[in-house]
Amino acid sequence: MRSFMPARRPLLLVLMLLFCGGILLLSLYGILGPVESLAASPLHAVAGLFNRLSLSVNATLQDLNDLGRLRDRIAELEEQLARRQVESIQLREAASDYNQLAQLLAYTSGLEVQEFLTADVIALEQSGIARSIIINRGSGDGLAPGMPVTTDLGLVGRIIGVSANAAQVQLISDENSAVSTRLQTTRAHGSIVGQASGLLRLTLVDLDEEIREGDLVITSGLGGNFPADIVVGQVTSVRQFEFELFQEAEVRSLIDFDTLEVVIVIIGFEPIDLSVFAPEAEV
Amino acid sequence: MGRSLSVVVLGLAAALSASLVPHVIAFCLSLLSSFMPELALTRGQLSLVLLIVLSWSLRAGLLDSLLWAAVGGLCLDMFTLLPLGTSSLALVLFAYALNSIARQLFSMRIALLLIATASSTVLFTGYTWMALALLGESYSLPRLLSHMLLPTLVYNMLAVLPVYVVVRRLQRRLEGGLLVSPQSLTQGGAA
Repeated sequence: MRSFMPARRPLLLVLMLLFCGGILLLSLYGILGPVESLAASPLHAVAGLFNRLSLSVNATLQDLNDLGRLRDRIAELEEQLARRQVESIQLREAASDYNQLAQLLAYTSGLEVQEFLTADVIALEQSGIARSIIINRGSGDGLAPGMPVTTDLGLVGRIIGVSANAAQVQLISDENSAVSTRLQTTRAHGSIVGQASGLLRLTLVDLDEEIREGDLVITSGLGGNFPADIVVGQVTSVRQFEFELFQEAEVRSLIDFDTLEVVIVIIGFEPIDLSVFAPEAEV
Repeated sequence: MGRSLSVVVLGLAAALSASLVPHVIAFCLSLLSSFMPELALTRGQLSLVLLIVLSWSLRAGLLDSLLWAAVGGLCLDMFTLLPLGTSSLALVLFAYALNSIARQLFSMRIALLLIATASSTVLFTGYTWMALALLGESYSLPRLLSHMLLPTLVYNMLAVLPVYVVVRRLQRRLEGGLLVSPQSLTQGGAA
């Protein structure tokens, strides 16, 4: 070990701080982008490997832990499935009627054919403050900031940063995330925001709207950031005070964000920039 | 050797704590939460890179300590929303402070490490919160303290000594096995 003369110690510190500050400035201005992508590749690969390993071990142990509860759950789900099958037949009949009527009226619902890309989750946010994940697809696969990310269980978040072969996804449970939503049953509009606890809160719902426990919350498509009709979660409790302008509800996502393995990126969706319609700032 | 090894060790530590550690903690908490349901709300995570940098700085030379801190910060920033170099600035300061104090307090190094771990966990969380706020990502501070800082503090305090033991073994190997016990020196001298 080399020891430095006491007088040189502060000098060494200053030099190191200048070095780190320089890197920080270059990174802030985006000059280090290609170098960062290159340096991040091996780290992300290793993280992906660890992630797969830990998820498989974790899932096995969790399954053993949950065996008793799973049996009850299966019985419950089988009962639900039987009910849903009846509903499904009724809905298919309704859809068939709808299609016939739509053809008669030459009506198009505006639903676009979406393109999807699956991606593995390779790492979780490291600061602990923000809630984001890193996936193993990047600009090379056609990903761009703003693209929505989902799973079969519902909305995960949206892409906020992209490198050549990885992308960072801000989860909907992040405190800075806000998603325009509506309730599936009453069609009441609101906004889903993340909380420090990692749970979701439905806010900005008018006081005269009814929110019921168990209601499904889906994206509304308002604001142009997410496509409409993606499941966000289920209402678990409602908070309503007369002195407040809006009512709120706790929402539980069907997704366990800590054990996400595979996600789907909707690459056919382009976020709509509504800023052009905003009134210009006064000079 | 130690300097180039820092890239590998800290890179692995960053990758580990970005992928493996949260799952292990989540699993342990899910087991514990069957007894204490409120535990499921904790969001802290083990700061493996911070612990390695602090443990390394306790006995290494200043240049090595600062290099490990800078490299550790860079690896850490690969997995955060923060720009590259943000964490390095804070870690370099922590490493410098700990290295300087450790030179004065030879006999209290373990106590010093525990104090440094607690204080740097608090400072590092505050620093990250401020850096995110400067980037336009604001997070509620009171909720952050209860949901993230306290659990992180507990994990770090529990893990710092095992991490120190591993880091110290690595340091000894890199020193080429020069560390010899005083008894063996006496025996060697008598022979």
